[in-house]
Amino acid sequence: MSKTDKVIINQLPTGVPGLDEIMGGGLPEFSFNIIAGAPGCGKTTVAHQFVFANATPEHSALYFTILGEPAIKMLRYQQQFSFFEPAKVGTSVRFVNLSKVLLEGDLNAVLEEITRQVEAAKPGFVVVDSFRTVIRKAQGEAGELEVQSFIQRLALHLTSWQATTFLVGEYLESEIRDNPVFTVADGLIFLYQAVERSSVVRKLQIMKLRGRASVPGLHTVRITDDGVQAFSRTLGLTGRKGKPRERQRISIGVAELDKMLGGGVLEGDSILVAGPSGTGKSVLATQFIAAGIGAGEPGIVAVFEERPEEYASRAASFGLDLESPQHQGKIEILYLRPMDLSVDETMQEILDAVRRIGAKRLVIDSLAGFEMALAPAFRVEFRESLYRMIGALTGAGITILSTVEMEESFVEFPFSHFAISFLTDDIIRLRYVEIGGQLRKVLVVIKMRGGNHSKDVREYVITAEGLVVIAPRYTDYKRLITGLPERVGQKEELPPEPKEGGFGEP
Amino acid sequence: MNSPTLREHAQQLIDLEMSAGNPSPENDEVKAMLRVCEKLRRCLSASAGVAGFSSLMARSLTLAKAELPWMEAAKVDENGTLVLEGDPQLDRDQAAQGGVLIIACLIGLLVDFIGGDLTLSLIHEAWPQAGAFSKEEKNP
Repeated sequence: MSKTDKVIINQLPTGVPGLDEIMGGGLPEFSFNIIAGAPGCGKTTVAHQFVFANATPEHSALYFTILGEPAIKMLRYQQQFSFFEPAKVGTSVRFVNLSKVLLEGDLNAVLEEITRQVEAAKPGFVVVDSFRTVIRKAQGEAGELEVQSFIQRLALHLTSWQATTFLVGEYLESEIRDNPVFTVADGLIFLYQAVERSSVVRKLQIMKLRGRASVPGLHTVRITDDGVQAFSRTLGLTGRKGKPRERQRISIGVAELDKMLGGGVLEGDSILVAGPSGTGKSVLATQFIAAGIGAGEPGIVAVFEERPEEYASRAASFGLDLESPQHQGKIEILYLRPMDLSVDETMQEILDAVRRIGAKRLVIDSLAGFEMALAPAFRVEFRESLYRMIGALTGAGITILSTVEMEESFVEFPFSHFAISFLTDDIIRLRYVEIGGQLRKVLVVIKMRGGNHSKDVREYVITAEGLVVIAPRYTDYKRLITGLPERVGQKEELPPEPKEGGFGEP
Repeated sequence: MNSPTLREHAQQLIDLEMSAGNPSPENDEVKAMLRVCEKLRRCLSASAGVAGFSSLMARSLTLAKAELPWMEAAKVDENGTLVLEGDPQLDRDQAAQGGVLIIACLIGLLVDFIGGDLTLSLIHEAWPQAGAFSKEEKNP
């Protein structure tokens, strides 16, 4: 059979943002699926999103409710979500209660009633919620073989009637093995909910999907006013092009530092600026973004420790206007609220903003703030997720500058306590040194993957113009990077900033 | 809950049933009201289940009894059907008033639980020609 002879299985939108990508494009048409998980995971909401995304008067949905959530309550609560369209109820989406049939009849009676309703309505979509109650009843009266036969007949019938089906049920992961329900199903979506310290963590896994390659693993899920939203572990970034062979050098926003970097950073690089508090990491990051605006490259600034207006106001104090580019859609300053975030949804917000304005530069200020904003359970995944996002974005030609705060040490010279050096192409280290009774600042380019760079340890100051690398000094020191250098040259030079009398003293 | 507007809506459903029935002396308002209840029972039992409808109907009756004590003679059976026990001697106005009230209570409960839009779509399943709710009815 040639490739073109193969049957084409239509993919239906799940109605759950992010889930189509996880499912390899959507839900296979006419498939028989199960949404499983403990109570409160969002199973019914996922089923409703699917139904409201797909049902039309021509391809209607039959939603069978059984001994679970009463239909009136289900309608009361589900209509609070934005996807719920009241106009579809009764026309495109019809709710049918099977409680009485289940209580008074056996498996055959349930199957007969579902069959009767399906044959009468000819729906394109069928949901049975909760299917677990049917199985419980069945297992009380019938043997396993009879249950399996019932499920197989139900699946066969619904598929033959060209219905895409969801069975919704409260199952624990341990119940999946050897369960005939799961053997028959074409697709199995498992939803998890766990409390980790004070945070609730919701996840989703596609445990089975016939005929499609889904994204494996656990994906973060959040329930908002818009319903369930899923965040793929790949962040939708698979299949991106690699870095172009010919990459331009772009300005970091500090002319003298550009020279140290061999003419600027390479487009699509990941730059790490590490240093202790007050050394000017955020200032340099702002200059990097402002330089991009000057070069016609839109930018995103993801801040975790201060609000966008504070960030823009601080930039203004250095003569950098971030307000106007924001109004022009050339910059977005994202304030990612510091509470219970998952890595993937935070990164999704950044990616959405990058796509929205076609950003070429991204600042993450800072990695420590980013990590602290996450729910405790997600912090263990921080490096892995960061790796995926940085890899994919830089691969698409976006240049990323991340800041990381370092505790100043006078016995060692670490580059980052995040052990993320492998994520970065270029590392710029800022640090304090004590010289002549002053706490002065020096920087050094530690690493640059894309070419040669200056090995000099250069002094810099923070002025009204931002971070300024001052001209090379003629006084030689050794052990500068220890923070306690020793002068080896003889020439006396004035410090870059006056030692006294220059800061408002009378 | 059973505001004048909801009562007007209930009256409209009874009127629709009366106009749909045979023009005979037996086609009175009580019978029309029972047919309205029966149609609502069928509609709602299909989606909300028999038990779901019965509980709503029982609640509606309780609310109606607070206003019209003679309705103590009315009961809701296990299928959600409204039945009058004994032979309450009611004049035509009393019966009509009771019928409107209990249907208004039922509609009011539905509006409270699932909102005006969904309630109206359920009503339209049985009476496609029924009028829309007023703003007050939709948001009591």
